[in-house]
Amino acid sequence: MSHVVIDLKASLRSFLRNKSTIFWTIAFPCVLILLFGAIFSYSSVKYDLYLQNQDMVDGKATYWSNTLINILNSSGVFNIQTVNATVNATDYAISNRLSSLIIIPSGFNDSANMALFTHTANLANVTYVFDQSTSSAPVVGSIVTSIVENINFQLSNGVKYLNVQDFTIAPKRYGYIDFFLPGMIGVTAMTTSIFTSVSISAQFKQNGVFHKLATTPLRRYEWILSRTVYNVLITFLGMAVMLILGVAVFGMKMTVDAVSLFMVAMASLMFTGLGMIIARFVKDPDGADAAANVITFPMMFLSGTFFPLSQMSLFLQAIAQVLPLTYVSDGLRASMIFGQSQTAIFNTAIITVLGIACIVIGSWITKWEED
Amino acid sequence: MTSLSNDSAIQVEGLTKRYGDLVAVNGISFSVNRGEIFAFLGPNGAGKTTTVEMLECLRKPTSGKAFVLGLDIAKDQMAIKRKAGVLPQDFYTYERLTVRETIQYYAGMFNSRPDVEGLIKLVDLEDKKNVLFKHLSGGLKQRLGIAVALVNDPEVIFLDEPSAGLDPKARHGVWHLIEGLQKQGKTVFLTTHYMEEAEILASRVGIIHSGNIVALDTPQRLISEHGKRNMLILKKTSPKAVPNIEKLGIKANYDESTGDVTVHMNHSVTVSEVLHSLSNSDIPFGELQLRRSSLEDVFLNLTGETLGEEEGTA
Repeated sequence: MSHVVIDLKASLRSFLRNKSTIFWTIAFPCVLILLFGAIFSYSSVKYDLYLQNQDMVDGKATYWSNTLINILNSSGVFNIQTVNATVNATDYAISNRLSSLIIIPSGFNDSANMALFTHTANLANVTYVFDQSTSSAPVVGSIVTSIVENINFQLSNGVKYLNVQDFTIAPKRYGYIDFFLPGMIGVTAMTTSIFTSVSISAQFKQNGVFHKLATTPLRRYEWILSRTVYNVLITFLGMAVMLILGVAVFGMKMTVDAVSLFMVAMASLMFTGLGMIIARFVKDPDGADAAANVITFPMMFLSGTFFPLSQMSLFLQAIAQVLPLTYVSDGLRASMIFGQSQTAIFNTAIITVLGIACIVIGSWITKWEED
Repeated sequence: MTSLSNDSAIQVEGLTKRYGDLVAVNGISFSVNRGEIFAFLGPNGAGKTTTVEMLECLRKPTSGKAFVLGLDIAKDQMAIKRKAGVLPQDFYTYERLTVRETIQYYAGMFNSRPDVEGLIKLVDLEDKKNVLFKHLSGGLKQRLGIAVALVNDPEVIFLDEPSAGLDPKARHGVWHLIEGLQKQGKTVFLTTHYMEEAEILASRVGIIHSGNIVALDTPQRLISEHGKRNMLILKKTSPKAVPNIEKLGIKANYDESTGDVTVHMNHSVTVSEVLHSLSNSDIPFGELQLRRSSLEDVFLNLTGETLGEEEGTA
């Protein structure tokens, strides 16, 4: 373990003495956040949400259904599209390939009133129909759930439930920066880990550093462990700077919990392993940069970092589903912004499995010397 | 091989390395005595680096055996690494570590606590100890590489082309360091394609060509046995000098284009005897040149090639 610490210290010392690496790792993502945040600060990320209100009387929405629709509208997150109350909503969603549809059932208003007057917490249910294969559905679902839970919370407190018009539910408004910043943390984990792994491996191979290291008692797995920990630490450093920027400049409200930190660590592990796999097939530092760019650039743009996947074609959305960065970005948003723990844990599990697979394969095929 | 002589730091028997159809090292056998500087001399691609890398446990032999300090390269890799020092060709390391930090880094890899300042002084880098590696010249990098090779106080030091690519001044600095290592009682195994380096530094020289050792002995004996004779060149003299000199039992040639006579000396006749003979016959001559035979001649004589002609992978 002492070898790992010694190599890690040398790597960190080298990092702190390399201005261009510090710029690209820490400063550049911040510049992007400031630029994109400033450009899109007045626009919000919006998701399409189809809504069928079956709770109508004489062609008009009932009080409670209308209230819920207004609250969903006021969140600023959704482009609400109305679905005719007479059609079968599930069939409609399938035939029109909708990712998210809310059904307010007939009797919703009565159920809500009953709950209010009988002091029960059984608020009328709405049904959320969604396509699980789309990345936006869990996000939309989590927002709708949080809005409904907020209503429930207000009612169960027993303070204003009779005065429903005074509901001051202020569902969280999500801006572009809320979408973008977690994505940038994922991108930083990816670029830091892949570029560092690929370029260091290529440089060390070409300059003979691997050759020299191989003549010492330092074992290969110790060096790989050191590089992995280094990438995790540098990514955490970048993440910390971005979070401070998001809070200080854009007033973001985020939750950084163990899940999100673990997810970032696993993302670094995954991309470090991926970098080592790439490095095995490049011969010199120039080729290393090119290979790293070939992998990272498409992933950056196709994994929903800069704009939601739902705004892309179905073909590109399908591609995004096989890109590991998609799970990092979506998972971090679910964990840090939308508070959807299930999605976060699901994505973390995927990243962890991929991370272990990548680092095992990367370690196995990394050679210091050709035999 | 079942036993190792106590005097041998390195013992090699039938060591072979093949890459497909290419035989990089072809069943070589030799031993290196403790405390000597042993040079492996040969052109690029002869098999020098492949051999030294097998001894450093970086490459697996196809067949054959080798022992370093009595340790089997096939079984005791980690023990050999702990006891050996290695200077690879063109030593390179973390660019943004200073000289002092680099030595400390490698010392940490051996869990050793060397006298870092002493090592810096030994390789004469005291005024560069806080300079980053990337800012050192080629010669200074090699000197640092030698200091790094000593962090574990090794008994055997492998130096692979230690002065390749250096200017003459830097090269002589490295030679001086290597001589100092022998004075400390270290065994030095060096590979080189510089004839002069092997001749000046080495106690014994193994000449390797196309993966085979074609000769192995002290430089003096190799020159004596395989080199050309020393030659005496008499400038601007008469062709009559040739029969006069040959009466002494040695060969001589007259070059009409230059007017020079070349005398092929041997141990039975001294230079003064040649000059005395000419003087007695009133044969005039201009300036004198004595050309000594070298390992270059030995290599040429044994292989038909000059050092540096051969190209290859190893």
